[in-house]
Amino acid sequence: MYGARVLSVDVEVDRREFTVRAALEVADGERVALFGPSGAGKTTVLEAIAGLVTPRGGHVSLGNRVLTSTDERVDVPPWRRRVGLLRQDPGLFPHLSVRANLLYARSAREDELAALAAQLDIAGLLSAMPARLSGGQRHRVALGRLLLAHCDALLLDEPFASLDAALRRSLTTLVKDICSERMVASVLVTHQLSDAQAFADRLAVIDEGIIAQIGAPDEVVLRPASRRVAELVGYLGFVPAAGAPAAGAPGSAPGVVAGVHPDRVIAEADPDRGLVVTGTVTAARPSGAGWEADILAGDATFTCRLPGRPVSQVAVTVLDPPYFAPDGALLTRGHPIQLNVPGA
Amino acid sequence: MSIAGAAIIWIALLGPVITLLTRMSPGDIWSALTGAGNLDPLATSVESGLVTLATLLVLCTPLAWMLARDRLPFPRIWEAGILCSLLLPPLVIGLLLVFMVGPYTWVGTVLDWIHQSATNTFLALVIAEVYESAPYYVLGARAAFAGVDTGLEQQAGLLGDRPGRVFRRVTLPMAAPGLAMALAVSWARAIGAFGAVVIIAYHPFGIPMQIFTTLQETGLYSALPYALVLLVVALPLPMAAYVWSARAERRRRG
Repeated sequence: MYGARVLSVDVEVDRREFTVRAALEVADGERVALFGPSGAGKTTVLEAIAGLVTPRGGHVSLGNRVLTSTDERVDVPPWRRRVGLLRQDPGLFPHLSVRANLLYARSAREDELAALAAQLDIAGLLSAMPARLSGGQRHRVALGRLLLAHCDALLLDEPFASLDAALRRSLTTLVKDICSERMVASVLVTHQLSDAQAFADRLAVIDEGIIAQIGAPDEVVLRPASRRVAELVGYLGFVPAAGAPAAGAPGSAPGVVAGVHPDRVIAEADPDRGLVVTGTVTAARPSGAGWEADILAGDATFTCRLPGRPVSQVAVTVLDPPYFAPDGALLTRGHPIQLNVPGA
Repeated sequence: MSIAGAAIIWIALLGPVITLLTRMSPGDIWSALTGAGNLDPLATSVESGLVTLATLLVLCTPLAWMLARDRLPFPRIWEAGILCSLLLPPLVIGLLLVFMVGPYTWVGTVLDWIHQSATNTFLALVIAEVYESAPYYVLGARAAFAGVDTGLEQQAGLLGDRPGRVFRRVTLPMAAPGLAMALAVSWARAIGAFGAVVIIAYHPFGIPMQIFTTLQETGLYSALPYALVLLVVALPLPMAAYVWSARAERRRRG
């Protein structure tokens, strides 16, 4: 086992639009996903960890090694950080064979190379040139190269974003298993919530350079810390909370809204399971195996997914929704939560 | 455009070479090249050409890399300077070199102290060839370096390579085909340099000067064998560079 290091980050990096302020601690073998919209500062955080940008203030440390410290005037160059970075472009050296790419950082015993190649399913490609490989194979080789380099931390900057969903899922699972097996602290940057959930032990939501919430993926998605976080993790509507159920809900306080996640709506009125909303269907379209409907309830519009084609007037139940005060803060945080997620 | 149209243009471009080959008999070439001292210009041209290439490699490669990587302040001014030297007619370069490194300049005085001269010497020939060929090399090498993805250099750094090692293991091998082509073009410019050479380095004779003086002294037909020699000597390096570049590209494609 190698890579037994805790990655600690607390940096401020100036960007043209805003200053990125991120504080994060990733334990041995822990996987953290940095999730947020495009331009939120996710990649900047990774680049600060890798030493590719110099923060205005703060520190980065990996185990007992200080990599960046503006107070101590330490700025270890990228080539001495032992931090691996996998980007969307796998960055294979086109003039070197797969074998030479894998062994770029350090030589390895033949059995070590063979075992890794077998694990990554690239054993038959060692003598091929990168131009001959498919997108998925290139990413496997790039991952193998980082693993053979014995990095102490692994940074993943939307590495599989250009691949199809099935390949993305299998590669994400592969990276996840390898990071756990080798106890490497890893940070995945993505704007796909499903990728973040599939990969991470903890999910950090970043918006305009600030980490707005960090926690277990389920907790972040089901109990977003603010209305803005709720919007980022997929809540597609907010309805007045009047008539909310008693279990931890703030009742009919003025201005309080309930967040509606399209996947957490059932097509029947069941006040015991959540907030019942009655409204008019303004649009409906096929979505996967069901239908996606836009529903107008009073002044509010929300989108939800239903198993069948909705009629014009519907009564639906928003399962155990989070409630937000007029200033956007979560009101029900800390109350007992019934997740209502199959298998949760 | 059809293949026939392309072939007509190709043959028209090759017209001078075809004419040269059809105008000469093997006997003409043999007698021109076997006379006493007739191969001296060839040796002079090859030697000066090789020294010129070495000078370009050592002095201009770092400049080209810095231009490609925006490591210089006000990069457009630097590029404009290179273009200026490219646009100067070779004859004008020769004239200006007299005022720059001639015997009555401070450079000439310094050279005189060490018993050297930058006019009508081998050194003068190399200086003239460097000035005629350098812009072609710098611009070609700059394009070759600019074609190397900086993301790959960054990745090599993250894998533990210091900048010098990144240059040796990634930048140079990836830019090598482009650098070889730039060097080949510069070689052709250097070995065929005439405009600046005729002003500042009339002696020692390289092949272009030999062609010129033979033309003046004994006529057109006597000069043709030297033209063929120039072609034969100048061509292998660009051809080798072209073949090597193409093979490197094929190898990368697997």
